[in-house]
Amino acid sequence: MKILIVEDEKELLKSILTYLKTENYICETASDYKTARQKIESYNYDCILLDVSLPGGNGLTLLKELKADKKTDGVIIISAKNSISDRIKGLNLGADDYLTKPFHLSELNARISAVIRRRHFEGHKILVFHELTIDLAAKIILVNNKAVDLTRKEYDLLLYLAYNKNRVISKNAIAEHLSGDEAEIFDNFDFIYTHVKNLKKKLQMAGCGEYIKSIYGMGYKFDV
Amino acid sequence: MKLLNKTIRSYLIYSFTILLVTIPLFYFVVKTVLLHSVDRSLRTQLRDIRSNLNSIRSQDELDAWSKLDKDISLAPSGENFEDSIYTVYRFTHKHHRNENEPYREIAGIITVGGKMYKLVVSSSLVENEDLLGSILMVQTILLILLMAGLLWINQIISKKIWQPFYTALSNIQQYQLNKKSQLSFRQSDTDEFNELNQAIKNLFSRSHEIYIQQREFTENASHEMQTPLAIFQSKLELLMQTIPLTEEQALLINSLETTNHRLIKLNKSLLLLAKIENNQYSSVDDVHITLLTEKLIEQFQPHTERKEMTVTKHYSEDPVVRANNTLIEILIGNLISNAIRYNLEKGKIIIDINKKSFTIKNSGLASPLPPEKIFDRFYKENGSGGDEESIGLGLALVKRICGLYHFDIEYTFKDDLHCFTLFF
Repeated sequence: MKILIVEDEKELLKSILTYLKTENYICETASDYKTARQKIESYNYDCILLDVSLPGGNGLTLLKELKADKKTDGVIIISAKNSISDRIKGLNLGADDYLTKPFHLSELNARISAVIRRRHFEGHKILVFHELTIDLAAKIILVNNKAVDLTRKEYDLLLYLAYNKNRVISKNAIAEHLSGDEAEIFDNFDFIYTHVKNLKKKLQMAGCGEYIKSIYGMGYKFDV
Repeated sequence: MKLLNKTIRSYLIYSFTILLVTIPLFYFVVKTVLLHSVDRSLRTQLRDIRSNLNSIRSQDELDAWSKLDKDISLAPSGENFEDSIYTVYRFTHKHHRNENEPYREIAGIITVGGKMYKLVVSSSLVENEDLLGSILMVQTILLILLMAGLLWINQIISKKIWQPFYTALSNIQQYQLNKKSQLSFRQSDTDEFNELNQAIKNLFSRSHEIYIQQREFTENASHEMQTPLAIFQSKLELLMQTIPLTEEQALLINSLETTNHRLIKLNKSLLLLAKIENNQYSSVDDVHITLLTEKLIEQFQPHTERKEMTVTKHYSEDPVVRANNTLIEILIGNLISNAIRYNLEKGKIIIDINKKSFTIKNSGLASPLPPEKIFDRFYKENGSGGDEESIGLGLALVKRICGLYHFDIEYTFKDDLHCFTLFF
């Protein structure tokens, strides 16, 4: 999988690169408009992370050009602007997703995985971890080929953990992922604890190994 | 008291005093002058009589003369005395009625044929009095007319002169810092007013400029803050992945992350406030309050369930407001989340919606909050039962959004329930 990261903040770029390293992606970077444009024109990427404000131009212009060239690269816009109109504008231009700064790397990773899977495994989107199978199309999970009944939140939680497998995800990141903007209002993470506890119980009862581990109360890790 | 009335009042008092003083003064002056002229003519008459006395030769002639002239009375006198002038009142029969009329008389001694007579020459003062009356009346009318006219003219001129002042005043009254308005100042021919207008204009434009700058600064600062916050967050996440990770490190990372999360929240709220001030939520829709409330309650359900709260809803109508959807969602959302956040375990929330208002009541602290403070930015109630993470911007946002759409928000505390009412 080839990914292009267009981001002018060097430190953020480094963080993203480090986080994505374990995913076996081939990552290329561009930190200004010109470089980004050259790379987009010359190569095809599975996913492009596109910062909107770039030195030398606007990320959205790149997106327009990309779509005009009938390229099918998946695009996730990263923007400091969090207004609905900007979001709609980005998505209307053909972006697959829109993420506002500051974001969690685990969230970014989950979104990249989702975009890539949407583009490459059409009709047959399945994640398998030993006895555990997640069917992305049907939104169900199977343990030893037997369906496990999960609530929507539990399913989302498991998928989020699975996308970020073998990495610690903070409770904050999970809270934001599960409840969206609402997490900005409440700081109480008890509900995550409840969701995790229920999820673990259901998986365990279905005969699944204990892959979800709590890391010193800081967050959780899907260890496979 | 109005400015015009104030100046006119002084004029009025002055005019009135002058009027009161001058009319009697004038009366006495004119009366004295008239009396003086009567006295002079009486003296002349007496002198003329004395110088013509030698033409009278007999007693009969004297009697005849004194009878002919009604203004003269003659009586024999035994002693000599100086001429004297005095005023007497005599009853006379005139137009079928008796009137007490004033007369001026001069009395003197004349000698006719070796005999002394007392001669009295009198002159009626009635005409003088009438004349005096007429003069006085004309004078009074004239004075009153003059003063009334002066006052009237003064008032008209004052009004006209002060007109620019009143225009300026109404301009200042209408001025709103957050709205750029084209204020029209009328060019006046009074230098002071032109200077005043110029000063006001400068003041307005400078305040507006500073306001805009400050507004933009908040927004820019919040924007700029996002990148370092994002970097910080990403580094923390990478730090979490490091191996080996001890519990001590994990706890530190956790508290760092919580703090950073709080910073991010604070920054977002500030940005939101700045955006509202900068009119970046100008698009409006029909917002259905009841539908929105239902949606939000459903969203917050995990939290109400966790605290085992009872939520009671009374919807008598579904009010529709023309406003920005996002802002109204923040408005209602903040009110509901506050009601959850500052509530007790197993507490209650009561929501009432009718055509004109949205009311939310919740149990919580047993004492009322200070209504004048709770809407302030960064106001936090100690021991309010909410989490420590509160940043104190929720109600400030509520207030700001209400201000934007001219809604009224009211806080009351009754029956141990904190009640916020929103009037559309």
